[in-house]
This record gives sequence, C-alpha cells and structure tokens, in this order.
Amino acid sequence: MRLLIVEDNVELAGLLAKGLRAAGYETDVLSTVDDASTALRTTFYAALILDLGLPDGDGLTLLRQIRHRNIPIPVLILTARGGLQDRVHGLRSGADDYLVKPFALEELVARLEAQLRRPGHLLGGALRVANLEFDTGNRQASINGQPQLLSSRETAVLELLMRSKGRVVSKKQVEDHIFGNTNEIASNAIEVYVHRLRKQLADKGANVQVHTIRGVGYLLAESK
Amino acid sequence: MPRFKSIISRIVILHVVAVAIASVLISLALSWLLNYATDSIHNQAMKKQAAVLAEHLKMAPNGGLILSLTPDLQGLYSQPYGRYSYAVVDSENRVLFSSLNGHTALFPTNPASGNVEFFQGNHRGATVSGVSIKKTVGGQTVWIQAGEDLDNRDVLTDDIVAEFFRKVGWIVLPILLVLLITDIAIFRRALKPLRQASEIAEKIGPLRTDLRLPTTEIPREVTPLVLAVNQALDRLEEGFRVQRDFTADAAHELRTPLSILRTRIETLEDQRVSKTLLNDINSMARIISQLLDIAELDSFVVEPHEETDLRMVCAEVIEFLAPLALAQGKDVALTGTSNPVMVRGNAEMLNRAIRNLAENAIRHTPPGSAVEFIVEENGTVSILDDGPGISDEERDFIFQRFWRRDRNMTGSTGLGLPIVRRIVELHAATLTLSNRKPTGACFSIKFVPLAT
Repeated sequence: MRLLIVEDNVELAGLLAKGLRAAGYETDVLSTVDDASTALRTTFYAALILDLGLPDGDGLTLLRQIRHRNIPIPVLILTARGGLQDRVHGLRSGADDYLVKPFALEELVARLEAQLRRPGHLLGGALRVANLEFDTGNRQASINGQPQLLSSRETAVLELLMRSKGRVVSKKQVEDHIFGNTNEIASNAIEVYVHRLRKQLADKGANVQVHTIRGVGYLLAESK
Repeated sequence: MPRFKSIISRIVILHVVAVAIASVLISLALSWLLNYATDSIHNQAMKKQAAVLAEHLKMAPNGGLILSLTPDLQGLYSQPYGRYSYAVVDSENRVLFSSLNGHTALFPTNPASGNVEFFQGNHRGATVSGVSIKKTVGGQTVWIQAGEDLDNRDVLTDDIVAEFFRKVGWIVLPILLVLLITDIAIFRRALKPLRQASEIAEKIGPLRTDLRLPTTEIPREVTPLVLAVNQALDRLEEGFRVQRDFTADAAHELRTPLSILRTRIETLEDQRVSKTLLNDINSMARIISQLLDIAELDSFVVEPHEETDLRMVCAEVIEFLAPLALAQGKDVALTGTSNPVMVRGNAEMLNRAIRNLAENAIRHTPPGSAVEFIVEENGTVSILDDGPGISDEERDFIFQRFWRRDRNMTGSTGLGLPIVRRIVELHAATLTLSNRKPTGACFSIKFVPLAT
C-alpha cells in the first residue's frame, strides 16, 4: 500500500518513510505543494501524510485543492502548530486527523490504520489484540485461532471495542452501535452485554481485558 | 500647602477661600461706597444750606451785616429741632451770627482757607459735620458755616447704611455660592471624558493590550498626555507581542527536531534504551506544548456567548487519559450528575484545565487507587485523588510557573497548575483546593452555570 508523505524536513521525512516501511507501507516523499499536487493527479495513494509549513505554501492549500478535486484520500496532518485555532482550522479544511509534533510512530500508524479501515477504504480484514482476533469480513472472533461463538450483541460490542483498541469507547457509542436510534434501552443493558463478553473472553483464555471507565465507557486492552 | 488628591476638591477648597475673601471685600467696598455716597450727599446739602444762608446775608445801612431768615429757615435752625446749625464768622474770627446757644462758631476758621471747606468737629458732645464757605458781602469777607448733627442724622440715609449688611450685603454670599456650584458642575462636565478614559484604562492589561484611550472628547489641555499614554501602550503592546511570539515560535521550532529525534529512536534497531529515551522526549514535548498553551492563553479571549457541556468535557478528558492511567494500574471514574451541565466557556480551554488537573491527580494517586471526577449540576467539577495532598506551605507555590515539589519526578513540568489558574481566571470561575481524609487532594472548579 502506497502512502504519500509531504514534508519539507528531509530528515524527518526519511525517518517517517523508514518507520512506515517497517509497518508495511510503501511511501513516496515530496517536499512542496506543487510536486504533491502533480503527484496526486497521476498516482493513486492510499493516504496522504501532510506537513503544514511547506516552502512554497501552506499544506492547507494543498488540502483544499484535494477536497475541491474530490479526491477521496484520507489526509492526516502533521504539524508543529497545535493551537486551538490551528486544529479547528485544519479539521475544517478537510483533514481526517491531526497529529501534533512530536508524535509517536506507533500513534501515526494506529491513526493511519483507523482511517484506512473506514468504510470504503483499503484496510479490511482482521483486527487483532494479543491472542484475540476479529475478522470484520465475516464478523468472527477467534482466540488463539479458535473461532468463538458469541451472541450478535456481544459480537457487536467486541467489534466496536477492537476497532478502537487501546482507546475509550463511550457508553453512548456502544448504545448507538448496538441499538441504533431506539429510545427504549434498559439502563443496564450495555453493562450486561459487556459483563457477559468479559466473562466469555476470560473463560476462553483471551489475553485481553475489558476495562470499565465508570461514568464514561469501556476500553479493551491487552492484559498485563 | 495641603496636597489634594482630586482636581475637583482642589478647586472647591480654593474657590471657597476665594468666595470668603471676595464676599468680605465686596461688602467692605460696597459699604465704603455707600458711606462715600451719603457723605457726598450730606456735603452737597450743607453747601447748599450755606449758599441759602449767604443769600440771606445782607449789608446793613450802617455798614454792618444783617441776617434775615425766613420763618421756615428759622424753624430749620431752631434749637429745639437741634439737627442743623449755622454760624457766620468774620475775618477777625468774631462770630457775627450763630444758631447755637452760646453764640459760638461751629468750627474754627482759618483765614487762609479756600472758598469751600468741609469740617467735622465736636460741639457740646455732639458730632457736627458741615461746611464753611467764604463769601464777600458788601466788601466784608465772612465765613458762613452750616452743619448737621451726625447723631441726629437724616433717617433715610442712616437706615440705608445700617441695614445694608443685614439686608443687602448678605446677598453677595449666596450669589458667590451659586457661582461656585455652577463652576463645580462645569468642571465635572469637563472632566467626564477623562473619567471615561480612566474606565477604559482600567481594562488595559497583558490580556487586553489592544485598547486605547479615546482622544475625541478629551480637553485640548490633556490631549498631549492621552496621546503620550496611547503611544506608550503601542510600544508595550509591541513588546508583549514580540515576547508572546517568541515563546510560540521557539516552542514551534523545537517541535520538528524533537519529532526527528523521536522517530529516529523509534526506528532504532536496538530497542533496549529507546523506551527511557522516549519517556524523556515525552516530557520535553509536554513542556513545549504547555509553553504554547501559556502563550496562547496570554492572548486568548473567551467569547461571551460560548457554551460548553462540562460533563462532556470531563468525559473527553477521561477518554483521553484513561489508557495512560490504566497502563499505570490506576483507575478513573466520572460520577455526579449524568445530565449535560452547560457552563459559560470555551470547550478546548475547559478541556485543557481539567486535563491538567487530571494529569496531576493521576500522577500523584498511588497504583490501585482511582481518580474521581465529580460533576455537579451547578457547574462544578471536582477532581479527587488519593495522593499525598497539598500541604499548607505548598499552597502558595503550586500556582507559580515551573514550581515542582519533586524536580526529579518525570512528567511534571510545573506549568500545569498555572495554566489551570489562567483558564479559571479567563472564565470568571473559582478554583478551590482541599485535602481529603485520610489522604489525597481535591481540586474543584466552579464555572458560571447557564440557566436551564
């Protein structure tokens, strides 16, 4: 999968390319708005990693061009500008995500994957946390390669938690994901599903833990 | 000379002194003028009487002089009436005629005197004021004297003089007082633009360097001062801007090299040392982003109509920090109301304040314990930890920039609480700090709730 990195700092660009290659991505590195604009016309990239301060203009100019030309490429902004206005401005200009320097390479890869897994994007297939795997194609969970039998609601909760592994999923998100727009949800329904899921995972020896963040939501992480 | 704090009081005091002096002087002047006028009338009247007497002085056939007065003139000078008197004296100082009992002159006569002379003298205990005119009748020079007893003076003139102060003189004071009050009013009015300018000046501070004093209605005498103040403010604003920009630019410039360093470490073959190095980089990155936060806060103004759901902000902060807390074996929880709590404020700024408090709480609470966020309907958020708490001595220091209890503790920058305090100030919120039993700290921020 080929990504385009637009970053005028040659050293950082080279290191990013190296790091992303280790994570399984091919990259092209360009350093100006003009070059990037031309490249995007002729080559198909899975995602764009864009620095904002470029020698021949602002990265946001390129971003607006891309959105104007209706190129459906996920754009991840890298910037030294982390101010409130900068962030709001960046996301309003059509960026899909925004990372402030210095960022962890791991974080960049995770955010990239999150973008690529979105409907219509390229990364499908398996989600994995420790020995627990979830196939988004057939919605099948397996532990140590052994397929598990889960109810449809439990499956839905697990999918959501695995899609955002290591991050908190709010209770509201879980409710919306499972019940959609219905108003009649028993107040403890979600807790019941999470409780059952937790028990199943523990019983089957999954090396993961579903944490409850009281008053906020849930978080799935590898257990220590 | 006493020092006056206000121009108005200075004017009032000096004006009162001036009024007092003026009213005395004006009264004295008026009374002198009045006396002068009455004296002048009296002298004129005396001169006229002397002239009338002179008309009645005739040359007798024997060479002597005779004074034949009409009956009403005789009445005027009669002793019982006692008010007017006359005498005619010749050049040898002999009294030819006199209305007085002792046949005496009214005043001593000086042969070398001029044609008309005014006198005042005592005559048997009475003050007599009058005139002496020189006249030559039938080759003989005589002095005709006419006088009035001042103790028995013209009633009308007397009354005017006596009553003057009581009835007329006092009018000077009220008039001057009215003038004083009018002057004060005029002055207050003239100073109004200055007061308005002061009100604007009060709002000027590091956060509002854009304000300038208005010059349109300022009195011309004060305009140079106002212009000079405005120019000084221009220079100050520029100074602030340069400093703010420097902090922001420096922090920005540090981010890219730090990013390179970080990525370089992450792509190292040998992963053994990289974990500690990455922790160091995270601390540095945290300082940089907090410096930028401070630089941004220095010029940040809360929009008056901005509203934010405090509970949602807390949930976001917890979502952001929960992975970190869980990784350290610490728990986080959001309790209190489960309804939205709308408060005045900017969501991002509230997020930063609560995040800074939460990061402190997570850092200080021991593993196995929990950091609790309590959100109340009245716009209060409290963040409770089980750490060591804040001692009384520390309270004075914790809000100072770069203060840290343990300078070796990683993750602490000494910038978090100053940021929190600044955000609290910007939102007209109140921050309270208490210790928990048996141990732990509780930071509460009460924001301005919106009426629901």
